[in-house]
Amino acid sequence: MDSDEEDYVFLGTPIEREEEITSRRKKAAAEASGNLRSLPPWKQEVRDEEGRRRFHGAFTGGFSAGYFNTVGTKEGWAPQSFTSSRKNRAEVKQQSIFNFLDEDEKAELEGTLGTSSQFDTFGFTAAEFARKQADKEQKQRPSAIPGPVPDELVLPASESIGVKLLLKMGWRHGRAIKDSRASSLYDAHKEARKAFLAFASEDVKAPYPANEPDEEPESFMAQPVDNDTQSSKSLPAFVCNPKQDLHGLGYDPFKHAPEFREKKRLHLSNDKQHGYRKAISIKDSLFGSKSGKAAPGFGIGALEEYDAEDEDIYGAGYDFEETCVEEDEEPSKLSIESKQPSRLSIESKQKVVAKDEGVLPGFKVASVSDYQLERFDPPIIPKDFIPHHKFPGPLETLKKLDVPSPPEVPPPDDSNLKLLIEGVAKLVTRCGKLFEDLSRKKNQSNPLFSFLSGGDGHDYYEKRLWEEHQKLGDQAKLSLDGKHSPSAQKMTAEGRGKLLGEKPLGRSSKETTSSSIASREFQLQFNLSDTFKKPDSFNKLPEVAKPFKNDPAKQERFEQFLKEKYEGGLRSTGYSSASNMSEAARAREKLDFEAAAEVLEKGKWGKESMVSTQSLDFLAAGMQFTSGGLEQVKDTHAEELVTKEKYPRREEFQWRPLPVLCKRFDLIDPFMGKPPPAPRARSKIDSLLFIPDSVKDAKPEEDAITNRDVPAAQTGAQKTIEAAEEEIEIVAENVERPVDLYKAIFSDDSDEDVEDTNTKKVEDPEKKIEVATTTLNRLIAGDFLESLGKELGFEVPPDTPYSTNKANSSAQIETPNSDAGIAKVGTVEGHGTFCAPNVGTGTSLNPEQETTQGSESPKNESIPGKPVRYSSKHTDGLSESISGKVNAEKFPPGDKKVRSPSSRRRNWSSSSSSEDERSRKHSRRHRYRSSDSNNDSSSDDRERYHPRSKGKRKRSSREKSSSSRKHSKHHKHRSRDSPSRSHHGSEREHSESRKEKRKRRN
Amino acid sequence: MSTSELPRKEANVLKGHEGAVLAARFNSDGNYCLSCGKDRTIRLWNPHRGIHIKTYKSHGREVRDVHVTLDNSKLCSCGGDRQIFYWDVSTGRVIRKFRGHDGEVNAVKFNEYASVVVSTGYDRSLRAWDCRSHSTEPIQIIDSFSDTVMSVCLTKTEIIGGSVDGTVRTFDIRIGREISDDLGQPVNCISLSNDNNCILANCLDSTLRLLDRSTGELLQEYKGHACKSYKMDCCLTNSDAHVTCGSEDGSIFFWDLVDASVVSKFRAHSSVVTSVSYHPKDNCMITSSVDSTVRVWKT
Repeated sequence: MDSDEEDYVFLGTPIEREEEITSRRKKAAAEASGNLRSLPPWKQEVRDEEGRRRFHGAFTGGFSAGYFNTVGTKEGWAPQSFTSSRKNRAEVKQQSIFNFLDEDEKAELEGTLGTSSQFDTFGFTAAEFARKQADKEQKQRPSAIPGPVPDELVLPASESIGVKLLLKMGWRHGRAIKDSRASSLYDAHKEARKAFLAFASEDVKAPYPANEPDEEPESFMAQPVDNDTQSSKSLPAFVCNPKQDLHGLGYDPFKHAPEFREKKRLHLSNDKQHGYRKAISIKDSLFGSKSGKAAPGFGIGALEEYDAEDEDIYGAGYDFEETCVEEDEEPSKLSIESKQPSRLSIESKQKVVAKDEGVLPGFKVASVSDYQLERFDPPIIPKDFIPHHKFPGPLETLKKLDVPSPPEVPPPDDSNLKLLIEGVAKLVTRCGKLFEDLSRKKNQSNPLFSFLSGGDGHDYYEKRLWEEHQKLGDQAKLSLDGKHSPSAQKMTAEGRGKLLGEKPLGRSSKETTSSSIASREFQLQFNLSDTFKKPDSFNKLPEVAKPFKNDPAKQERFEQFLKEKYEGGLRSTGYSSASNMSEAARAREKLDFEAAAEVLEKGKWGKESMVSTQSLDFLAAGMQFTSGGLEQVKDTHAEELVTKEKYPRREEFQWRPLPVLCKRFDLIDPFMGKPPPAPRARSKIDSLLFIPDSVKDAKPEEDAITNRDVPAAQTGAQKTIEAAEEEIEIVAENVERPVDLYKAIFSDDSDEDVEDTNTKKVEDPEKKIEVATTTLNRLIAGDFLESLGKELGFEVPPDTPYSTNKANSSAQIETPNSDAGIAKVGTVEGHGTFCAPNVGTGTSLNPEQETTQGSESPKNESIPGKPVRYSSKHTDGLSESISGKVNAEKFPPGDKKVRSPSSRRRNWSSSSSSEDERSRKHSRRHRYRSSDSNNDSSSDDRERYHPRSKGKRKRSSREKSSSSRKHSKHHKHRSRDSPSRSHHGSEREHSESRKEKRKRRN
Repeated sequence: MSTSELPRKEANVLKGHEGAVLAARFNSDGNYCLSCGKDRTIRLWNPHRGIHIKTYKSHGREVRDVHVTLDNSKLCSCGGDRQIFYWDVSTGRVIRKFRGHDGEVNAVKFNEYASVVVSTGYDRSLRAWDCRSHSTEPIQIIDSFSDTVMSVCLTKTEIIGGSVDGTVRTFDIRIGREISDDLGQPVNCISLSNDNNCILANCLDSTLRLLDRSTGELLQEYKGHACKSYKMDCCLTNSDAHVTCGSEDGSIFFWDLVDASVVSKFRAHSSVVTSVSYHPKDNCMITSSVDSTVRVWKT
């Protein structure tokens, strides 16, 4: 072939054929031998090791590679398909750089990179290398020691001379060499603080590599510069704070709320260390509730007020959480400190504790503070200092202590007078000289009080006065010695009074005490009667005078009560023996005791040497009624008192289920077609509040019963019971009459009494006795009233009994009402459900009407109670006369008497349901007060509520009169009845008079 | 029932309430129970499987008592918001709200026909509300109590209320009588025996008193537990053989009905046991406590 090529001339470049490959290979081999190198560059060809030409010209195919110009595989560049099944998982291919290198490159890479021990000048390799070198040298050198030298003996120098020098100068490994203290200190401090914080959250067990973080900079500076301790701080210590959360790197969730960071950390560490301590005290935080006692988790709406009921009554009495956390913090801090090197002085430890305690969340302690705590010694107490306060102006009574004792004077023969004198003396001692003057002035005409102005018994009075002062002084001294600051701090007037052994003043005149001298006088008067008994008279209580001898425990408490009441001095905080009693029971018992004591005292005062147990019990029962209520009275008859303590007691009353209720319960209405039952008197509280009212209410009701021919036998029984009740009630009233200021002034008490006696036409002997025994009280009260009336500037009605209007009222019932039935229906509607007595009289009521009435009752709550105007009228005598005139005109001629407005007022107030209701509600809180205070407060409440309901009342009354057909009938009837009505212009007056009459009729 | 059959083993703990659970009641067949508490919710549970079924939320303040009708279709509840809620059990919606009490309502009960809800509370009144009509005014108000009424029970013909004034008053609709039994101690809770012949009254002097209803006689007193300041329920077992009540220290007491001896006593809760309710047929009991749990006890 070569010869052929020699022979022919070839033009152009021949297209190479496949067949020529072999020849080409040969050629390539020949060229490789080197002779082709001489060819000019454009003639040279790039061939691979196989002799294939890899580069072609642009028109002959470009770059060709591999298998049919591919990468060497049949499929060429086709990508590998990725398949992975469950059974046959595609393995993850670990690629290395060798996957991408050609063989030649691989060969090139081989052996070029690698560590050379020659360059390993540090660490083990260096040491090893040195040793080997030494070994080699050793072999070549003759040596004293035959054999190889033990490795341990010969070691290469590990430290450079520079290091050695530094060490000699005091440098230690791991420390910076630089001398600039300030910056390093700062860094150290910062790092240390960081470390400390981190540390606090971490387990304390981890060894703490850092230096003292807590040491104060100033103390630090104060140390000598070349101090070893101190210089050790120069290098920052890094604490590894492993990332445990899932936040991004560098993200700080607490960036804007640093106070939570601590909480979170604390929480975590608590969880880690003590699983049971979950609670975190949030007391100091923004969201901690102010009261701290709220139930956990449940707030209330913004519009609801947060009152006592929302307190967590089930919460523990003290705050566990707080103490827990505080305990928690202290030890951890201490433990850190104890872990720290002992160089930390105790002083700095204290400082740290003190500092960190006061740190607010979100703040950090100032690292430098100029503040220096200055300490002062406590003032030196003079040797002669006595730690008791001496009042610059001693009490008047104390001043008189040094007054020489007046000569011994025998007490006057009249023991009555003696008692009086003693009482007055005591009172004067307590209340001051002013009282003496007052009573002297007032009782000028009274021969009984002549001892005040130098008459009979004046000497004895003087003597008693002195004695009392003495006693009082002793007491005061005693209390000064015995008592100490805690109670003295919050000593009120009451407390002081107690301390001085005063009987606590009746609450009835509490409001007026401070304001007017008149009421004060009244107060004194009241106390006067109170002090007219010998203090020791109760110590030797006769057997008969033990009202509670059935119950020894109670009797004991009673005696204790008496002792406290009359002996004065420091009182015990409560009945220790009765600590298991409920508050209500205690209050009730106290009322009982008061009543019994009063009864006892009356027995003494009235010079009735022997008070029969019977009457005593009876009186006690009566008093008990006033406090306890109607239900109790029902069985607190003299005999039943004996078994009173036995519980349970069963009582039965009539109760009327409304027809709807019966229907819903699928029962037959037991009262179907029957008139409504005689109503039960109202509940305890009511009777407590409105004793006089209930008397009045009961009376007409009783009349109604007599007039009606209600068949039920039980009504008769009830009637008798009620009669008995009434007696008791009256007695009770009499007993406490002088107590109530308002009542004493504005009500004609005797009026009611006479009324009642007239009604019943029965004079019970007990009552007579009672009346007798209370006359003196009344006398005093009347006396006082007179003076008070003068001061207030209006006429006080004389004590003479008014003529009864009872006849009138009963007459009204029978008289002109031919259409009584209808009228009564109107009445019932007008009064609503609450005025039970009135409802009772509606004889012809059928159930349907009653239902409507029941459903109307809420509306009726806003129905007028006239006392609004009357109570305002009370203040001036003029209006009284006006209303009197009105009454006179209104009433038929048979009505001889002008009722005092106040009694009418009470009448109305008792009938006006809404007021009752409200005042009852209001005074619920005061229900444990004594009965007289209740009376007062209730009347107070009444007045307070008036303005609110006034307008409504007027309107409703007017519209009722216009709308209700029955009512208008009634109205017509009324107008027929009392033609004189037209004289009064005002419509109000009309409705009022109507009301009044309706009331009366009932 | 012998003493060994008393439910003393804790079968389930029903957790879900936050704060004190104030009452827990079985329904009439004993398959479900209801609880209510300070968190203003009423919860319906299956106590036997320990499953919380439903939550009823609408009260504005704590829920003090809950009762379910015999046919399990309606609920009534009351509480500190002075209202009585009348619920539909399945939808959880409030059908009606009865307003009128002037104070917190302590107890609420359906009558037998679920036509009347009787409620009572701090305002000393006992009010009957009509579920049939659309009126929201009470049918009748009984206000003869003189202090807070804590608990109310209904029979077919009577309404019985127990009050802090120490009385248990029975209002017999059939004969129109009110019978007042004065116990002399504030009554915290009353419950009827299953034969309806006796009333068990839990008094605040830490004494349970068993009264004969017909005569008013005091049959027995049960002492030993602590009940001085919290409203705590008491009940008789379904066989009327034992009396049970919780205690302020978290324990449960069982007394023999007749001889008043403490038959069993065990610590059930970590805090005051507010309510106990006995299964109508089985020996099973649920108790609720201030520790926010209701526990189911079985033999």
